Amino acid sequence: MGISYAGRGWKASFSKFEWILSLDAVALSLAGIALIYSATVPLGPAGKSFVIKQTAWLGMGLILLVLFSFLDYRLLERWGIWIYIIILVALISVSVFGRITAGSRRWIDFGLMRFQPSEFAKLAVVIVLARSLSESQRGSIDSWLELFKHAAFVLIPAFFIATQPDLGTAIVLSLVALTMVLFAGLSKKLCKVILGLALASLPILYFGAKYLLLDYQKKRLLTFLNPDYDPLGAGYQIIQSQIAVGSGGLFGKGFLKGTQNQLMFLPVKHTDFVFAVLSEEWGFLGSSIVLTLFLIFILRGLGIAGRSRDDFGTFLSVGCVSIIFWHVAINVSMVMGLIPVVGVPLNFLSYGGSSLLSSFMCAAALASVSSRRFSHLS
Amino acid sequence: MLQLRSDRVLEDYYKSRVIVFSAIVCLFILALLMRLWNLQLIKGESYDDLAIENRIRLLRLPPPRGEILDRNGNPLAENIPSFTLSIIPGAIKELPELVKSYSEPLGYPPEKMRSIIEKSFSSPKFMPFAIKKNLSMEEVSTLKSLSLQSKCVSLNVRPIRRYPFGDLFCHVIGSTGEISSSELEKFGRVGYRPGDLVGKTGIEKEYETYLRGEEGWEQIEIDAKGRRLASLTRRPAKPGSNILLAMDASFQKFVEDVFTERAGSVVVVDPDTGKILAMVSKPGFDPNIFSASISEKDWKSLNSDPLRPLENRSIRGLYPPGSTIKPVTAFAALSEGLIKPDTQFICPGELELGGQVYRCWNQHGHGKVDLLTALVESCDVYFYELGLRLGADTMAHYASLFGLGKPTGLELSQELPGLIPTNFWKERNYGTFIKDGENVTIAIGQGYTLTTPVQLAMMTAALANGGNVMRPFLVAQIRSPDGSVIFDQSPVVRLRIRHDKQDWALIRKAMRDVVESRSGTGRRCRVPGLNISAKTGTSQVISTREKAKPEDDVPYHERTHAMFVAFVDDQPRKVAVVVVIEHGGGGGKIAAPMARKIICRYYGLPDPGEPKD
Repeated sequence: MGISYAGRGWKASFSKFEWILSLDAVALSLAGIALIYSATVPLGPAGKSFVIKQTAWLGMGLILLVLFSFLDYRLLERWGIWIYIIILVALISVSVFGRITAGSRRWIDFGLMRFQPSEFAKLAVVIVLARSLSESQRGSIDSWLELFKHAAFVLIPAFFIATQPDLGTAIVLSLVALTMVLFAGLSKKLCKVILGLALASLPILYFGAKYLLLDYQKKRLLTFLNPDYDPLGAGYQIIQSQIAVGSGGLFGKGFLKGTQNQLMFLPVKHTDFVFAVLSEEWGFLGSSIVLTLFLIFILRGLGIAGRSRDDFGTFLSVGCVSIIFWHVAINVSMVMGLIPVVGVPLNFLSYGGSSLLSSFMCAAALASVSSRRFSHLS
Repeated sequence: MLQLRSDRVLEDYYKSRVIVFSAIVCLFILALLMRLWNLQLIKGESYDDLAIENRIRLLRLPPPRGEILDRNGNPLAENIPSFTLSIIPGAIKELPELVKSYSEPLGYPPEKMRSIIEKSFSSPKFMPFAIKKNLSMEEVSTLKSLSLQSKCVSLNVRPIRRYPFGDLFCHVIGSTGEISSSELEKFGRVGYRPGDLVGKTGIEKEYETYLRGEEGWEQIEIDAKGRRLASLTRRPAKPGSNILLAMDASFQKFVEDVFTERAGSVVVVDPDTGKILAMVSKPGFDPNIFSASISEKDWKSLNSDPLRPLENRSIRGLYPPGSTIKPVTAFAALSEGLIKPDTQFICPGELELGGQVYRCWNQHGHGKVDLLTALVESCDVYFYELGLRLGADTMAHYASLFGLGKPTGLELSQELPGLIPTNFWKERNYGTFIKDGENVTIAIGQGYTLTTPVQLAMMTAALANGGNVMRPFLVAQIRSPDGSVIFDQSPVVRLRIRHDKQDWALIRKAMRDVVESRSGTGRRCRVPGLNISAKTGTSQVISTREKAKPEDDVPYHERTHAMFVAFVDDQPRKVAVVVVIEHGGGGGKIAAPMARKIICRYYGLPDPGEPKD
């Protein structure tokens, strides 16, 4: 008995190509490029390179999407552990040789391109966790040993990412893993104990925040509680981004016409605060269209998870979907002042090659699971 | 066919979970949309008010930089307002109009004015672009009314640094300038932003964290023309702390005036505490030209000047100490028991060693000399003999006891360590050990040995205070803006030299006689009624001591450095002085009179002039 990894021929695969998801991703990315253009116009001629680079990355993302969706995702089941190990080595080497940007080491410099392993770590964790969950007894996890086995895959990379320091990505990673475990199912006994532990650990968290967080992370927390605490530093971002979103109104101020954006009141607006530019220039209408596009992507992804041919495909899909979901939820909440500022990009829209490529890899994995749901074992 | 657990075609095992998770996601997105609705449509108008026409501006209130004062409270670095005229390129409507009305009051011809404005078009659209900086008061008064009429022009004021004494303290206090991109990367986290002033060198740099203060902010409401309507909230800036130097500006001025040569350094210290009383490095520069943005021409001329006026020679000038190190060599030989005070050597005017001839400065020779005479008359051959017996490593050990070969720990971090050669060092850098011929030159402070004036000052201070190598300091106190003292300097002994009382007394007597004895080399430093001890030095720049040419025939950069160290230790206030004159000739001839004038001034005595005999 063998498994065909190449699928059932190109023609059949093409007809089963995941069009909804792919077009959704492309639409989001194009909107992102328009927003990045708008956000970088005030920088003068230097701003153009952002748009050019993002477009190039979008091209690479599309190639990845097409190539990967024709490959069988079960290759990942077999090779996933190696991808995971490579990413882990990359994460460790980032903390040793990484390049410092704005005070954190997150990138590996390849000369031509800087590569941010923490973006890809999320995918690697999803792959190994999906395999490990699919090998467990189906139903609910009810032994501690089993839970710790799954958790170890997440906690090791999360630790290295948190020390970069990139708290945002570490949080997303943990939430993604939690989502996958919950989807696979936890026994009631375990749920109760975990809930109890979580409540008991609140004081530990409090002191941890007091002594372990870096100065700027503390500042962000304090600022979230009171934006006027430091209106020139961290609070400035919250205040200005809320003004930008709020002043957009129903239809927005129009392309290139956002005053908050064009007058450079907005910080890091082409990366983490790109949603603020969207809300200011395209209003409630534009923002809700983008949010709806994300919703379609996520619901479609969950649908693919439900109809997958095997458990690995299900958990892989749930993982990929939850990566996108948690990024959107955290980033948009942050821009609207619902949660403290944590540096998390908005998938497909934010400027940045690593983020865009890893988003397309999520889409590609989902497309691959989708196009193989009817194929039988030979 | 084997049924695999994972094979579940057309199976709906996870259907219910997918539905639950989908519902949660929908609720989440719905919540975000509601928040968006709330922000944009319900509260939208109030945010709109904030954003439209940018009615709310957040102004940064830069903190007044702390002042630097001398010990009597005279400001050495203070703040004055500087006016800049800027335009906002995105707001320009009528270019010809703008050129016409502004070219005259700014003193630019119309074509130049136009080209400057056109240059601004490639910069960020809504950021102010500076047209002219550091406007004079007359220009400000004419431009003020003009700028109120047009929306695209703004007149801004910001404090810049002024140094009332010009170049007098240039190397000690240093200068300030706009923060560079590499400094921004370093300081970005602590609130620095492009365009901020930051200390670049000297005290301004080392005490940046104290001087800077804390930025304040103000939210103001403005009308469509950019005029200020009201202040909403405000947190005032906290001014920086003031720094009090141990120096006295008038004494420093006197020392600077005494130093009339082209290049060199003078350091005056209080031997008991290590307090720097004066520190002059020549040539200097006017730090005021850095405060206002420095012109390309000024920068080039300062940077390419072969005399390197930007360098603080007192801490970075590396000079062979020459004969001024002889007291240390003598102390080494006595402490090691290699000689007794009455040990004699014969000086025939030169010493031959492996075919190489090492000459004494006195080519006729000193005849039979003991240690006292050798120090007083600075006999080189006597010290060649000591060098041969001591060896480089032992000499290096004693030099390091006096703090040579390492930075003295002065507050200025650019200080250089100098060089005290050892066999280990020579082997690592040249692959061979130190030869006898080199040992003899090290003994008289030549060869590889390099010291800075401040190191020599601390060495001299140790001879004056009974063997304590002090850490020198410039800053006496730091006071917060409300006048309370945040930091008070206290003397630090870096090294204590253990010594035999008789040996020490002999060396001090010899240094007294350098000034007092008729045959002493430092006689020009003599002040009747004041017990000055000293040692002269004439350090060679090129390594030949072949034939003594008439001084005027030697090109400037090949002439010897004149060195002179002196101290007074029997007064209630002691003092130690080091004078280094680059390519100045003989130490006893040129440097000694300068030291005499400085010491006289320090004790308030009239200068007796050169001794008649």
